[in-house]
Amino acid sequence: RNMADGGHYYNEHDDRTAPQYRSRKGRGGHKGRSYDRSRRDRQPGSHSGGFGGPGPRSRLADMDEDVAMSDNSQDSSAQHRFNPYGRPIRKGGDGRFDRRPGKGGGGGRGGGGGGGFRGGRGGGGRSRSGWFKVTIPHGKKYDKQWLLTALQNICSVPYRPVQFHVDHNRAHFYVDDSSTAHALHKCSHKITDTDGYKVEVHVNPSAPPSSLVSDLKPEHLEHLKQCMAKRFDGSQQALDLNNIRTDPDLVSQNIEVILNRKTSMEAVIKIIEENIPELTCLNLSNNRIHKLDELAELVTKVPNLKTLNLSHNELKSDRELDKLKGLKLGELWLNRNPLCDFFKDQASYIRSDGNDLPAPIGFDVETYYSIYDSGDRQPLLDAYHDGASLSLTTPYSTQNPSRSSLGEYHKDSRNLRRHKDSTLRYRLLKHTRLNVVAFLNELPKTQHDIASFTVDVNTYTNTLLSFTVSGVFKEVAVDGKSRESTMAFSRVFVTVPAGNTGLCIVNDQLFIRMATTEEIRRAFVAPAPTPSSSPVPTLTAPQQEMLTAFSQKSGMNLEWSQKCLQDNEWDFNRAAQIFTQLKTDGKIPDVAFIK
Amino acid sequence: MATTLDFRTHVDQSCRYSEEFVNIYYDCMDKKRRNLTRLYLDKATLVWNGNAVSGQDALAEFFESLPSSEFQVHTLDCQPVHEQATQGQTTLLVVTGGTVKFEGNKQRFFNQNFLLTAQLLIFFKWK
Repeated sequence: RNMADGGHYYNEHDDRTAPQYRSRKGRGGHKGRSYDRSRRDRQPGSHSGGFGGPGPRSRLADMDEDVAMSDNSQDSSAQHRFNPYGRPIRKGGDGRFDRRPGKGGGGGRGGGGGGGFRGGRGGGGRSRSGWFKVTIPHGKKYDKQWLLTALQNICSVPYRPVQFHVDHNRAHFYVDDSSTAHALHKCSHKITDTDGYKVEVHVNPSAPPSSLVSDLKPEHLEHLKQCMAKRFDGSQQALDLNNIRTDPDLVSQNIEVILNRKTSMEAVIKIIEENIPELTCLNLSNNRIHKLDELAELVTKVPNLKTLNLSHNELKSDRELDKLKGLKLGELWLNRNPLCDFFKDQASYIRSDGNDLPAPIGFDVETYYSIYDSGDRQPLLDAYHDGASLSLTTPYSTQNPSRSSLGEYHKDSRNLRRHKDSTLRYRLLKHTRLNVVAFLNELPKTQHDIASFTVDVNTYTNTLLSFTVSGVFKEVAVDGKSRESTMAFSRVFVTVPAGNTGLCIVNDQLFIRMATTEEIRRAFVAPAPTPSSSPVPTLTAPQQEMLTAFSQKSGMNLEWSQKCLQDNEWDFNRAAQIFTQLKTDGKIPDVAFIK
Repeated sequence: MATTLDFRTHVDQSCRYSEEFVNIYYDCMDKKRRNLTRLYLDKATLVWNGNAVSGQDALAEFFESLPSSEFQVHTLDCQPVHEQATQGQTTLLVVTGGTVKFEGNKQRFFNQNFLLTAQLLIFFKWK
């Protein structure tokens, strides 16, 4: 299926809020350290607001902001649509799915007896619809079959009970004919139950039973489909049906779409199945949903569904959630449902199918550590992803605190067992490669015993390789002589494939403790390797100059300036042009200018 | 992955989840060893001192073969794993350190790290 053909109803999506330094024709070449993606880490809410519970309009606002980047033509017909509430028309949609000729959906049982879709509620008075509600006051205790058969046996006319249900102690059903109703009424007190009591039958005129009223006619289904098209965001494959009952387009047409009713939900699912089966996000918040029976169909009909928002509904039991088994969801929003009161505030981890396609790529541990020991760790910048994280942990040691060299590391140690304040915890995590390497550069100079290293591969997929390096190192005094303390470390790296350099580090966790006597004894048996010059490329002198100039002229910090220049092949003028253009469009976030 | 959340929120959440996880994990390890494999994916791999153990059956056997343990976790750290490594599937790197005493052995230091994947995050509270 090609969503792109004539796809007027969605925006061409490519990091709308991230600055695009290349002149964009589709996605540019892929570098391991994807600039755009890393920026997401620093921009709060770079994707539009997501699915809150209440507050359906917030999504609209986000989409409107992005209109400028949109490739799709304005849909003038949408703008002239009936719009009494002044709700801004979603520019993303042109009100049509039209990927397949809509089959409208079965008319099924036509709405019972006139009365339209806003049939009078409650009993009493003459029913315009010709429906009657039959009530058996203590009917709950009877077997349904027994009761209905017993009535049929003595009733002078055959009757067809509609929507038999039990409510408190009472049993109810509907009949659509006054003479039938009358005949049933005459059966009251004629049947004796097994306890010796007489069965009472009450009959009252009533509105059509809801199960029939809510049947949507083909033309209503068409309106519903258009309404849903407007609420569909093709770029995110997201459908927002928050509080759909009050949608002006439906209300103005007197169409009742009440999602806690089976027929409404089924109609909606059918429209999804026929038009947007690749849906990944569905927002059903605020719809008084109390049962998930119909949603079980999503498993087969909407197999790509990853996010389901059921917040602000009427779900009372976690057993309802069993009906969603089989859906491979990534997120399930359940806040503001009665069932939440029965759960502690915690997340649940549920297993998934791992997809392991082995593609191990080598990471040069030796090179990393030779740079690490070289006295200048700046070249390690190229080993890290823009969005890399690093943290360091040392155990709290009461042994020889004054002699312990761990003191140098201790002040930056991140240990969730000891630090409970969330701001402190956040601060101790170094984030983005500049911060990571700047921090590493401040750590004491070291000499690692590479011969002592063990490297274990923890796990790998086709996008991730994680391994642990353990060994020992000494601290080196500035004058080149070794200090006395030998330390042991265990370092976990998570890396991703990166262009032609192989791998780059996205997560780095370093644990350092004092070495044991045994470790000290075995360490540094072989002569320590002399640090070699780094093979990792750095900026040439002309590049350095260009960078300084560009940073000065643009006002951006070195990191962003460098990226802009790199993305434009170090063509100063071109980079400047792109920069100016983006700046005028307001596409460059403030963080770029923080020095 | 909850792309609507910023990095700070990820960090905060990952701290909470990792604390919870670690409590459960070591409690199982020490007291309910048989339940431990439930915390591992079907295709998970455990690497113990350089020896790899893969798959539920092998893991079950492995844990069964370990003597009873008393773990003391002194250090705990965690990081949200970058989305590029996980194709958007929320993953945490959790690193623990401390001491352990296996029955019949002397107390030793240990370091352990986990990659936790959350296939399904159920949100109960709205901020």
